[in-house]
Amino acid sequence: MKDYIITAENIQLLVNDVLKQGWDVVSESKTGVNFNAIKDASELAIKSDSKPSKLSMKDFFFPKTEPLFFYRQSHDGVELVDASPIEKKTLFLGAKPCDAAAIPVLSKVFNWDYKDEFYNKRVENSVVVSLKCNYSDDYCFCTSIGLSQKAEQGSDAMLTEQQDGSYFLHIVTEKGDEFFKMYSQYLKDTQAENNKPVESKYPEPAVKFDQGKVKGWLDANFEHDFWNNLGDVCLGCGQCTFVCPTCHCFDIVDENCNYHEGGRMKNWDSCQLCLFTKHASGHNPRDGQTKRYRQRIQHKFKYYEDKFNEVLCTGCGRCTRGCGVGIDIGGIMERIDKF
Amino acid sequence: MAELKEIAKELLTSGTVAYIIGYASEKNDKTVPFIARTVEDAEKLVFTHHSVNNLSVYLKRIKKPESGKVGLVVKGCDLKAVVALIQESQSKREDIYIISPKCNTVVSDNTKPWNKDNIASKCLSCEVRTPSLFDATFGEIETVELPSDEQIELIKKVEAMSTSEKWEFWKNEFEKCVKCYACRQACPLCYCDQCIVDKASPRWIDSSATVQGNFAWNMIRAFHLSGRCIGCEECNRVCPVDIPLSLLNRKMSMFAVSEYDYKAGTSIEEPTLVGTYKLTDNEDFIK
Amino acid sequence: MAENSFEPKITAFVCNWCTYTGADLAGTSRLKQQTNARLIRLPCTGRIDPVFIMKAFQNGADGVLVSGCHPGDCHYNAGNFHARRRWAMFKEMMDFLGIDNKRLHFSWVSASEGKKWVDVIDGVINTVREQGPFTQYKDINKETEIPVK
Repeated sequence: MKDYIITAENIQLLVNDVLKQGWDVVSESKTGVNFNAIKDASELAIKSDSKPSKLSMKDFFFPKTEPLFFYRQSHDGVELVDASPIEKKTLFLGAKPCDAAAIPVLSKVFNWDYKDEFYNKRVENSVVVSLKCNYSDDYCFCTSIGLSQKAEQGSDAMLTEQQDGSYFLHIVTEKGDEFFKMYSQYLKDTQAENNKPVESKYPEPAVKFDQGKVKGWLDANFEHDFWNNLGDVCLGCGQCTFVCPTCHCFDIVDENCNYHEGGRMKNWDSCQLCLFTKHASGHNPRDGQTKRYRQRIQHKFKYYEDKFNEVLCTGCGRCTRGCGVGIDIGGIMERIDKF
Repeated sequence: MAELKEIAKELLTSGTVAYIIGYASEKNDKTVPFIARTVEDAEKLVFTHHSVNNLSVYLKRIKKPESGKVGLVVKGCDLKAVVALIQESQSKREDIYIISPKCNTVVSDNTKPWNKDNIASKCLSCEVRTPSLFDATFGEIETVELPSDEQIELIKKVEAMSTSEKWEFWKNEFEKCVKCYACRQACPLCYCDQCIVDKASPRWIDSSATVQGNFAWNMIRAFHLSGRCIGCEECNRVCPVDIPLSLLNRKMSMFAVSEYDYKAGTSIEEPTLVGTYKLTDNEDFIK
Repeated sequence: MAENSFEPKITAFVCNWCTYTGADLAGTSRLKQQTNARLIRLPCTGRIDPVFIMKAFQNGADGVLVSGCHPGDCHYNAGNFHARRRWAMFKEMMDFLGIDNKRLHFSWVSASEGKKWVDVIDGVINTVREQGPFTQYKDINKETEIPVK
C-alpha cells in the first residue's frame, strides 16, 4: 500500500479537521493513565518512546460497562428499549502496536458463535493509526509472541517517527487508504526507502521465551507443582485483566432495576475475582488464587491458541507493570520455557 | 539484611514459625512479596528501600498454618494494620511472630532507585520508623532528607473548594474507576468474607463501572475505612487508574484525630473508634 | 422545572421507638406539616447504614433526614451513641466529596416530641427546597436509565 510523509504540524491540522467532521479522535491521555477522546489537537500526546498507558484502549471497543437494552412495564406487557445506537466514527491515533494488535485477537472471540454487534460496530466505525514503538522495559515481551515494535496487526495505518521530526505514514488496509484519501492535503507522497526512523533509546525487549515451547509445556502440565506457589502472593484483584488489551470476560447484570423498569448492562469481569466461577450452590471449582492464576496463564497461552490459533496476549506488559505484588507474567513464561 | 536472614533461618529451623511473609528481590532493585517456607527460601529474604508492600494484608488472605506462628516482616507503618487486625479480633498477637525492621523510608516508584524525589508519600509524615511492637527487629535508623508533603497540601486545596468544585473533582477521579477492586484486595483492613459490593440481593452498590456505580463504591469503601485506615496507602499504589484514594482516607483519619483524638492502629488494648463511643461526643450537627 | 414549583423529595430514616412514634404523635395531634418526606422506619439509628443514605440519593431523593432517640433514650441502650459517631464521620466525608450538608440532616426526636418533629421536617424540607433539585446526583444516574428519545 501507499506511503506518505506527514509533518507534526499537519497531524495537528488533520486531527482538528477530523474533529470538525464530527468524528471522535482518541489518543493516549497526557497523564499516561488511559486513552481519551480529545476535543482539540493540542491535547494529542503522540510519543513513540513513552511507557504504554496504564489502561489499554480496549475500553473503546469493549467498554468497561455498556447497556445492552432497557426494559419497562407497559400496558400490554414488557417493552424493550434499545440502547443508543453506536454511530460515532472514531480515529485512534498513536496507539502502540501492542495495543492495535489486540483488535484482531478480540474480534475472533466476539465473532466466534454469536456475533457481538456492539463490538463489531465499534470496530467497523474506527480507523486505527498506530505509532511505531520506541520503548521497551523489563516487562515488555511483544517479540516473544510473534509481534514486534513495528507490528502492523490491527492497524489501518502506521506512523513512524522520523529523524527530522516528521512522520512516515504507511497505509496498511483499504480502510486506512480510504480514510487518508479524504485528508490528502496534509500528506506528501513518498517511497518506502525514504523511511528514516529515529533510533530507539531502548533495546529490544529483554524478556524472551519460545511461545511454541511454552504451549507444549502447558498442554502437558496442568497439574504440575509449578502452579502451587504461583498464586501464593496474588491478592485476587482484577487489575491484570482489566488493564489487559485482550482480556474480554464480561458479566451481565440488571442495573437500576425495580419492578417497573431497568437496564441490562454488560460489565468487565475478571477470572481473578473470587466470585467469577462461584456456583449458586456455593461450590467454587476455582477455589483459590493459585487455580485462578493458572487459568489466566492457560487461557492466554493455551486455550485461546487451541481454539483460535492466536495467543491471547500482545506482550504489552501492562499486567506486570500494574501488579501490586509484582507478579511477572513474562518472567513466568521464561521459567516455563526453561523447564 | 544479613540479620534478617539469620532471624528467618533460626525461626524456620526451630519451627517457631510455619512460614515467613517477607520481601524478595526481583528485577533491578524492585522487591516483591515472598513467602519463605524453608531455610533455603530464607536466604532470598531482603529488606530494602524498595520493600513497599504492606505484607500484613496476607494475614487474612493466606490460610493459617496448622502449627507454628506466621512470621511477618512488617514496617512500623504497616504494623499499625496488624494492631488494627488484633483490635478487631481478626488476628491474635500470639499467632504472629513480628519481625519489624527499623525503616529508612521506602520508594514511591518501585522500579526506580530510591532518592529524595522517590520517597513514598506515607513516609513523609511517618512517626514509626522505629517500631514499638515486635518480636525481633533489625537495622539502624539513618537521617533521611524528606521532600515536602504534597498530599496534605492537596487535602487543604480540596477542602477549600466550593461544594460543586469538590463534586467535579471527585467525579473526574471516580469516572476513571474500572471496578477492578485492587484497592479492596490490597487493603489489610478490607477483610470481609463477602464485600458489600459483591452482595447481589439486595444490590446496594451497582456493579457497573458507571459514574454512579463508581461513586457509590468509592464512597462506601472510604466510609468503611473511616477511622480504621492506618494510612499504608496501598490502595493508592495499586490503583491502575491513579485515583487518589488515600486522599479521602487521610482526610477521614485526620478527622478521627481532631474529633475523637483517635489514631488507628496505635494500641492493641484500645477499643476501635466505631466500636465505642463517649457520652461527650460532639453533636452540634444534630438538631 | 421552574424554581418556584420545585417540591423536593425527602427520605427520612427514623427509628421505630422515638422518631417514628413522635411523627405518629404529630399526626394524631393533627399538627400541620409539609408532605414531602417519605418515612422509612428502622429498629434503631444504629441500624441506619450510610449505604441507605447513598441509595436514597441514587433513587432520586433531594434530601435525607436521619432521626432517632435522644442520647440516653435508646431502646437498645447505646445504638444512637454509635450512630452519632458514624454520622459525624459520614457527614464530614460527604462534605469532602462535594455533597452539600444542606441536603443531609440529623435530629433527635423523642416519642413525645410531635411538635419538634413538625419543626424539624418542615425545616429540612424548606432548606432542601431552597437548594433546588439534586441535579448533580441525578446526572450521574443517567447512564443506567432508559434513554429519552
